[in-house]
Amino acid sequence: MVLLQPDPFLNELTSMFERSTEKGSIWVTLKRSSMKCKATRNKMETSGQPIEYRCLVRATDGKKTISTSLSAKEYQKFQASYATVLKAHMNALKKRERKDRKKTVEPEKKQDSSKSNSSKKRALSTLKPSK
Amino acid sequence: MVYIESWDEFVDRSLQLFRADPQSSRYVMKYRHCDGKLVLKVTDNREMTTHIDRFYDGAIDLKDMFFITSDVLDMKGHFDKLLVIMLLLSCLKFKTDQAQDAKKMEKLNNIFFTLMVRGPDADISEASSKEQMEQQASKKGRGRRQ
Repeated sequence: MVLLQPDPFLNELTSMFERSTEKGSIWVTLKRSSMKCKATRNKMETSGQPIEYRCLVRATDGKKTISTSLSAKEYQKFQASYATVLKAHMNALKKRERKDRKKTVEPEKKQDSSKSNSSKKRALSTLKPSK
Repeated sequence: MVYIESWDEFVDRSLQLFRADPQSSRYVMKYRHCDGKLVLKVTDNREMTTHIDRFYDGAIDLKDMFFITSDVLDMKGHFDKLLVIMLLLSCLKFKTDQAQDAKKMEKLNNIFFTLMVRGPDADISEASSKEQMEQQASKKGRGRRQ
């Protein structure tokens, strides 16, 4: 597992996406972590030291794994760049076909309105002779 | 392990699961370009037996659990009710092939980044990336401390 700085991590993640278009998967995992082992954490807790938590981000293509950790100061910039990377590469998902929906809905509406108009006409025609 | 149909329900339950155990919970995204599929998972990494033990120890009170609906609470079979709740607690999944869900996922990503760095009690202002950029720009202009 390679621990990288945030920017190199994003670059490598981009490469992973580019390599995995034909086949394969990309996993990205987010986890809260102090980046310290349990023994150190317990010592810090008992001595009353505040533990600084970070966000651990891991990414893998099944073969290679990379990671980075974000502090409170870094994470907002990272999340914006991360969103850009995802938007650029996750474009194999289906988009809503609104045009097709409109085509199927409109003729139905026309048919319904023509039916209702004819029924209204019949109702009016029955009313008129009563005058 | 349960696939949740509704996005909003997935978000609400995931945040609840994370807040219940921020140390052990993780948020996973899996993307397959060749199939056009996206799967999200939130888990607290516990085996079901742990949840069952906590339930019997009284650590989990079913009535206090925000998203347990009355139809589950009223279930006559004690074991069935337990199974439903435990499944929902330990691992939540959401799968999709729709591009619009990727946009929704972006907001959830931001929420999890905030919660994981600042802590489970952090205030989640649903600031979009544009708003954050504007805030950063205004801060730079006025010379405020970060």
